[in-house]
Amino acid sequence: MSGKIQSKMFVEPGTILDILKKEVDNGFSHLVTVTAVDLKESIELIYHLSDLKGNIKHVSTRIPRDKPEIATVTTLTPGADFYEREITDLFGISFYGKQTTTGRFILPECYPPGSPPPLLKNVDSNQVKDTLGKQETCEFKATTLHAPLSPESVVVPVGPYHPAFKEPEYFSLVIDGERIVKAFLRIGFVHRGIEKAAETRSYLRDIFLLERVCGICSASHSWCFVEAVEKLLGVEPPSRATYLRTIVAELERIHSHSLWLGLVGYWIGFESMFMWVWGIREEIMNLMEEISGNRVHKSFVTIGGVRRDVSDSLLRKIQEITKEFGKQFENLLDTLVSSEEVIERTKGIGKYDIEVARKFCTVGPVRRAAGELFDVRKLEPYGAYTEVDFEVPTEEEGDVYSLIKIRVKEVLESINIIHQLIEKMPSGNPVPSRYFMGTVPEGEAYGRIEAPRGELFYYVKANNTHNPYRVKIRTPTLANIQLVANILEGYSISDFPVIVTSIDPCFSCMDRVTVINSSTGEKTVLPVKLLKEKRRR
Amino acid sequence: MTSINSKLGFRKKSLWVYHFNSGGCNGCDIEFVASLTPRFDLERYGVQLVPSPRHADVLVVTGPVTKNSEGALKTIYDQIPEPKIVVAFGTCACSGGVFNNCYNILGGADKVVPVDIKVPGCPPKPEALVELLKKLTLGD
Repeated sequence: MSGKIQSKMFVEPGTILDILKKEVDNGFSHLVTVTAVDLKESIELIYHLSDLKGNIKHVSTRIPRDKPEIATVTTLTPGADFYEREITDLFGISFYGKQTTTGRFILPECYPPGSPPPLLKNVDSNQVKDTLGKQETCEFKATTLHAPLSPESVVVPVGPYHPAFKEPEYFSLVIDGERIVKAFLRIGFVHRGIEKAAETRSYLRDIFLLERVCGICSASHSWCFVEAVEKLLGVEPPSRATYLRTIVAELERIHSHSLWLGLVGYWIGFESMFMWVWGIREEIMNLMEEISGNRVHKSFVTIGGVRRDVSDSLLRKIQEITKEFGKQFENLLDTLVSSEEVIERTKGIGKYDIEVARKFCTVGPVRRAAGELFDVRKLEPYGAYTEVDFEVPTEEEGDVYSLIKIRVKEVLESINIIHQLIEKMPSGNPVPSRYFMGTVPEGEAYGRIEAPRGELFYYVKANNTHNPYRVKIRTPTLANIQLVANILEGYSISDFPVIVTSIDPCFSCMDRVTVINSSTGEKTVLPVKLLKEKRRR
Repeated sequence: MTSINSKLGFRKKSLWVYHFNSGGCNGCDIEFVASLTPRFDLERYGVQLVPSPRHADVLVVTGPVTKNSEGALKTIYDQIPEPKIVVAFGTCACSGGVFNNCYNILGGADKVVPVDIKVPGCPPKPEALVELLKKLTLGD
């Protein structure tokens, strides 16, 4: 569930590491994200911590603007690395005690070094745009190694525009024969600067902007934002609206997971799997279009309800089509997933255990594949998830094969959820009489929902105006991607696309504010060493 | 459309397409990929998705152009042999769309490369791309 942030634990910047350590020992071991807010006289850092029972805590500290530095918490939670680096680039805060961080992380390389960071309140978006526009070239720094690992090692650059990716990203692989010795990531070709843009638009317009963070989980983004705003306003949507939102979110999960299953088939060289799964997925896309008017950006959720009602006949149609889809999907996937080709290419590939998954703050199916029931729908139920009886599948192995199995089961479970919801659908009018155009009273709230890729987190700060003061987005891919660079080591280069795809990366989500630049030598980014013994095969 | 058709001249043939995501939200990309799958099946018009720009006749750009992707878009455009057709697929590729005033966005694809055809929509349906490429291949 999302909620208004009623109480924050205020601490001195110097004590942050000790306080977090205490909280982690108390069970608040999952660092959801770190939010930075420019309060003009100081910069506030909020560490959102969650336990595995659905409680959440917000630890806040204020850093003076003229001396923006604080100790890193990566020693405690390695997964905090990318959250901190994002803040370094966008707010200019340096985190000491880290072996990493110099140079650009999130912004293009040509962002002038002396310029103030873009998310500070006194920086104008258009100025940044002008400055960037004037730069002639903007070559990203290819990751270079200070010392080659061995004379036989070869560095293979992959990307940023490579046939193996649907989205731009850059991998630098150190190869010894066929084996990947080390992998470095440089992502950020899709960084647009949405968080800044959200501050300049009204709440209603923000819904449309934020759902365009990602075209695959677009309803999740708008819903998560709306949850937070509704909490600030004290608005409770009609129950029919929460049911309909849940149905659309589950349809989205079905479409997103089938899309992923198709892609996995494609990357292991099993093109029939890709074609078949994408072929039947069209039925779900048609349903989405019929419900909302658009196949992809549904703009379905709005503050105080949904934008249009769904008729009873359409609900029956959804029931029929999803039922048939479930049957065909199960049939198809039973055959595909049990085929030698898929098993050979995925079983035991990209293995990680639950300790590692926790360390990097992974979320969603990636966490569940290693055996932990970590699902916001169960932990902090929102929408209509309290009304239905469903299971969250988990697996023990933590390899690509168990990720496939989990996602197949989740699709079937989503169909089950949709059917129960349609059976129980309450009557009433889910559409608010007019769209929300007003101001939002001062306060802070968070939204936390289970998007297809995992836990999605929004932080919204309002200041009694028409526009939000700050919107922070933490997408599931940002949490999961840190794992990938680590799992890659020790595997054959032909497994590379499969392993990268296995977490279902969505770079447009992640890059909306973030670039990941992991180079060695001057900076050893990911605590790779702790994984090495496990990785070597 | 006629002038674009004549751009291909005597080299008119099955079109090979290269897809470039210059910073989009993925919405256009999944619709682009969907047009290749059985329901729409672009390949029945001889259209093929190629992994290298050097083999392509048509460049399909999706998404607004970010500062980071600007250089790559230019390079890829230059790598496609003449005659070539550039399609801006989706509102963002046409004009920058909803992201137009974001600080890391330069605007639509036409800020960087000459665009021949613009297909607006957020995202356009796969049918739009099928129809377009069909017209290019078969003529009006």
